[in-house]
Amino acid sequence: MLPASEHTIGPFFPQSFFREGDNDLRRRTPDAAPSRRGETITIHGVVLKAEGVPCVNMVLEAWQADAAGRFNHPEDPEAALADPDFLGWGRAWTDAQGRYSFTTLLPGGYVEGNHHRAPHINFGIMGAGLMRIARTTVFFPGDNAADPVFALVPAQVQSRLVALPDGPGRYRFDVILHGGAETPFFQD
Amino acid sequence: MAERFDPWPEGIQPAVPIAGYPNTFSHTPSAPLIRRPATRTERTAPARLSEKLICGDDNLAVVAPGRMAQGQFIHISGRVLDEDGRGIPHAVVELWQANAGGRYRHPIDQRDAPLDPDFIGNGRVLTDAEGRYGFFTIRPGAYPVPVPGAWWRPPHVHFSVLGPATLSRLVTQMYFPGDPLNEVDLILQSVPDAAARDRLVARMVPTLETGLGWLAYRFDIGLRGRAATPELP
Repeated sequence: MLPASEHTIGPFFPQSFFREGDNDLRRRTPDAAPSRRGETITIHGVVLKAEGVPCVNMVLEAWQADAAGRFNHPEDPEAALADPDFLGWGRAWTDAQGRYSFTTLLPGGYVEGNHHRAPHINFGIMGAGLMRIARTTVFFPGDNAADPVFALVPAQVQSRLVALPDGPGRYRFDVILHGGAETPFFQD
Repeated sequence: MAERFDPWPEGIQPAVPIAGYPNTFSHTPSAPLIRRPATRTERTAPARLSEKLICGDDNLAVVAPGRMAQGQFIHISGRVLDEDGRGIPHAVVELWQANAGGRYRHPIDQRDAPLDPDFIGNGRVLTDAEGRYGFFTIRPGAYPVPVPGAWWRPPHVHFSVLGPATLSRLVTQMYFPGDPLNEVDLILQSVPDAAARDRLVARMVPTLETGLGWLAYRFDIGLRGRAATPELP
């Protein structure tokens, strides 16, 4: 079966699909207590289109490893050791000023084959005008040079993938879809 | 042996930006997308997402006992499949659509068209062990896109599927067979390959398990990736 073509999520993704806590990656269920096995952080920013105009009603999805760099998924040989209370996935949508935020634990890095992946969070951005999911990766200040994905990004724009410290436990990451200091995006 | 995630075959992904759809010019990234290896983060996704996104809401046509939506009652069912044609169990399938008059129950949709008090227009289910899903709903209406050189979107149903990997995440739309608006829809026609466009069009099927009350359509959904690993015990 060939994969289905992507289409835009459009402007009408139901607001009732979102529930309190969907943007908290630490919680397995809407009612569960958040995992405390790590450093809680907030990552927030704006989504902008051409000319720096804020994008309203954009949907963002985040996915990351737990604080020790493990996934509760069969692809991870150490899945059995993954934090059982941490989901690692969240969904947010932008307000009238284009703002979003996620609450999570600072992800751990991990070793895969000969590579060491630096701590990172994968973002998927969806919205009216985006026919395909825009996929990017958020890195944190530190030594990212050896990360096999970071290393593929042209050096002059690598810094656009690094979240900026913004107060205790807070990081800022703006997504610029088009033009100016455009965020680097990845093929899927 | 093929990789689990090969590059997209030519012609399936929409060609962007789309002339006549201005938002695609202001939102589509202008720099070439960077090809990257599929590391563990890309090959995984939450194993039990249905605990977070509550599933089981499969009837959009009947909001409460005795309260039925206006429109032609239809049933949409199919399978979520990987590139090897294997059913993907426990995928989260989200569906949303306009009402029979072509209007969404969404604060952004302020078009002068009727709102149906008995139609909300969204549902979410989990695929079964063979990757099957199904929804009871109504046939949505067409609606105009308010841009210069406006065109009418054909009746369509939005799907969002969360499968076994972030690389298999899919957002797409389903169309109805034989609708003349399909041929002039800028969004559907942005898919270059005719066979790929055809895969976004549902098939009419004989009404069997759903009974005479529902006109039945089948819509199988292919996700990226092959040889998906088994789920957690």
